[in-house]
Amino acid sequence: MSFAVNLRDVTLRYGESEALADVNLTLEAGKIYGLLGRNGAGKTSLLSLLAAFRRPTSGEVLVGGEPVWENAPIVSRVALVREGGDFDDSDSVKSAISTGELRPSFDAAYALKLADKFELPLKKKVRELSRGKRSVLAAITGLAARAELTMFDEVHLGMDAPTRDAFYKELLAEYMDRPHTVVMSTHLIDEVANYLEEVVIVDRGRVLVHDEVEAFQGRGATLTGPADKVDAVAAGLEVLAEQRLGGTKSATVAALDGEVRARAADAGLEIGPVGLQDLFIHLTDPERTGA
Amino acid sequence: MSELTLTNRRFALGVGIFTDCLKYFAWWIVAGVIAAIAIPLIVGQWADVNMSGWYHAGNVAKIWTAILAGGFLYSLMPTLVAVGVTRREIAGAMGVFGLLWVLAFALLTLAGFLAEHTYYDLLGWSQGIDQETPMPLETYGEVFAFILPYPLTYAVYFTGGALIGAGAYHSDAGWFMFIPVIPVGLALDDLLSKVDPWGPGWLVHFVTGRAEFSPWVAAAVAVAVLAFGVWATRRLIVNSPIRGKAA
Amino acid sequence: MFDDGTPIYRQIADQIKAEIMNGSLEPGGKVMSTNQYAAFYQINPATAQKAFRELVDEGVLYKQRGVGMFVADDARERLAADFRERFFETVLAPLVREARQAGIPLTDIIDYLRTQEGALQ
Repeated sequence: MSFAVNLRDVTLRYGESEALADVNLTLEAGKIYGLLGRNGAGKTSLLSLLAAFRRPTSGEVLVGGEPVWENAPIVSRVALVREGGDFDDSDSVKSAISTGELRPSFDAAYALKLADKFELPLKKKVRELSRGKRSVLAAITGLAARAELTMFDEVHLGMDAPTRDAFYKELLAEYMDRPHTVVMSTHLIDEVANYLEEVVIVDRGRVLVHDEVEAFQGRGATLTGPADKVDAVAAGLEVLAEQRLGGTKSATVAALDGEVRARAADAGLEIGPVGLQDLFIHLTDPERTGA
Repeated sequence: MSELTLTNRRFALGVGIFTDCLKYFAWWIVAGVIAAIAIPLIVGQWADVNMSGWYHAGNVAKIWTAILAGGFLYSLMPTLVAVGVTRREIAGAMGVFGLLWVLAFALLTLAGFLAEHTYYDLLGWSQGIDQETPMPLETYGEVFAFILPYPLTYAVYFTGGALIGAGAYHSDAGWFMFIPVIPVGLALDDLLSKVDPWGPGWLVHFVTGRAEFSPWVAAAVAVAVLAFGVWATRRLIVNSPIRGKAA
Repeated sequence: MFDDGTPIYRQIADQIKAEIMNGSLEPGGKVMSTNQYAAFYQINPATAQKAFRELVDEGVLYKQRGVGMFVADDARERLAADFRERFFETVLAPLVREARQAGIPLTDIIDYLRTQEGALQ
């Protein structure tokens, strides 16, 4: 019973400024999504709408096919974990975890198992936790919510690399154990890329791209070689970035089909891969005109 | 909280906030009770006591009730919405919390006043209400009548506090809003408790029949104020966005 | 574990093919489930599934409903034939291209390959 998500013509304004402009987005149920975007692009605003933290200025936000705002049967099965979590700082870690029991689906035993695994001190107060441990606590409340739509917004902040790795592992295990819809918003793109099925890139309040992760991997390419040959092959392609070093030129193209790939190879150009992160950087470059 | 369902969780949540609050402030409440008893006894070493310690304790309690209602609501909004509770449920839970808190504090105040009356009698002191012209409570009946409006008073203060807390959370002003609101609230409280015909603990005069108005008119006004406060608070809660976290 | 040039599902499919070719996966043998693959490689199960689907389409694996995935009996022959077919295109064509760039005469390459003939037996 995973939740699908539909946004229809959604606009969100904070006073004068427009955080999201006319967004249309459909997320199918039961997949892991990566939500990417530069700071201030609208990622958190988008997630806030999906969790009914905020109401759109206009448009419709449907989760599980129903309007999400003030919908108890839906929001009780939607979890948004914001950076550092939402806790009463004077609570003990244990009672901060048990606040989750307000969700009928909350799995307290699983939460405690995770707390043990990640070495969370249950008796400490939330405010006494280090940033990393606080993020762990937040992540645990998200996993143990056993929600149908679970969203993590920059939840990794302060976690060290082994902890992040263990968190991703746990997330994947939980997902395979009980299919549900997951949205991860993060700047550590290469770290999470393999866990994702689809990627949504938001930029300046709009959805820039929404596609399967494979569509990104192996879609772009970097062509390096003598400037004139690079120019000849890249002519007519969408060039995301160019770099020159003496007579050598390197051009990053958004897409490279088999035919052009062969031409590039014949011309003796070096064809390098463009990872999701590099592609993201190019796609959201403010100097880039058009999409 | 193991048998929670979506239909009953607002009640369970209200009860939970109440018990958490009692636990959290247990020592403060004990300290308040001790102070209400001990201060007149200490003063009594040097002079005859002619005013009630519990009257002052009650005045502190009502202000504290207001701060507590506002503070809890303000800090619980994001925490509760984050665990999938709707704003309507939060409003309902605050109602349950408020009812229990008001009832508990009214009972505690009543018990305090009655006990105080007993030992003041034994010591030959008079249980007076601290006013320009002290107002002695001479019989248990008078004590009881004096206490009667307290639940309503606490309820109004609770609602007032919750309204301010909800307003502070709803607006982006946050705690800055309290800078103008607190002095105004305290001045209003002071005015109501000092100026005739509102009298001490403000509804008291009406209910005890000392005022020029009918106590029923006064009670009706208070209930109307309360109803408006509840309506406005609920409206603010239900429409409140959960604000972004400071980056 | 993965290079980021080729889609991961293709890399997994290639790896399963390699395991069939080198004998660690026997014809008729059961292949790990998508979830096991996903957990092992720490990838999205849909990605593993895509690899399996590709291999089923190519006739390398076959699916037994409710039981799992198995290596086709003729998988090795199929892959070998496939490999022979692609050998010239994917191995020799780039070799020739690089040799031309480096100015290595074709005869040198042929001579070199002759010295390796023993290894091919």
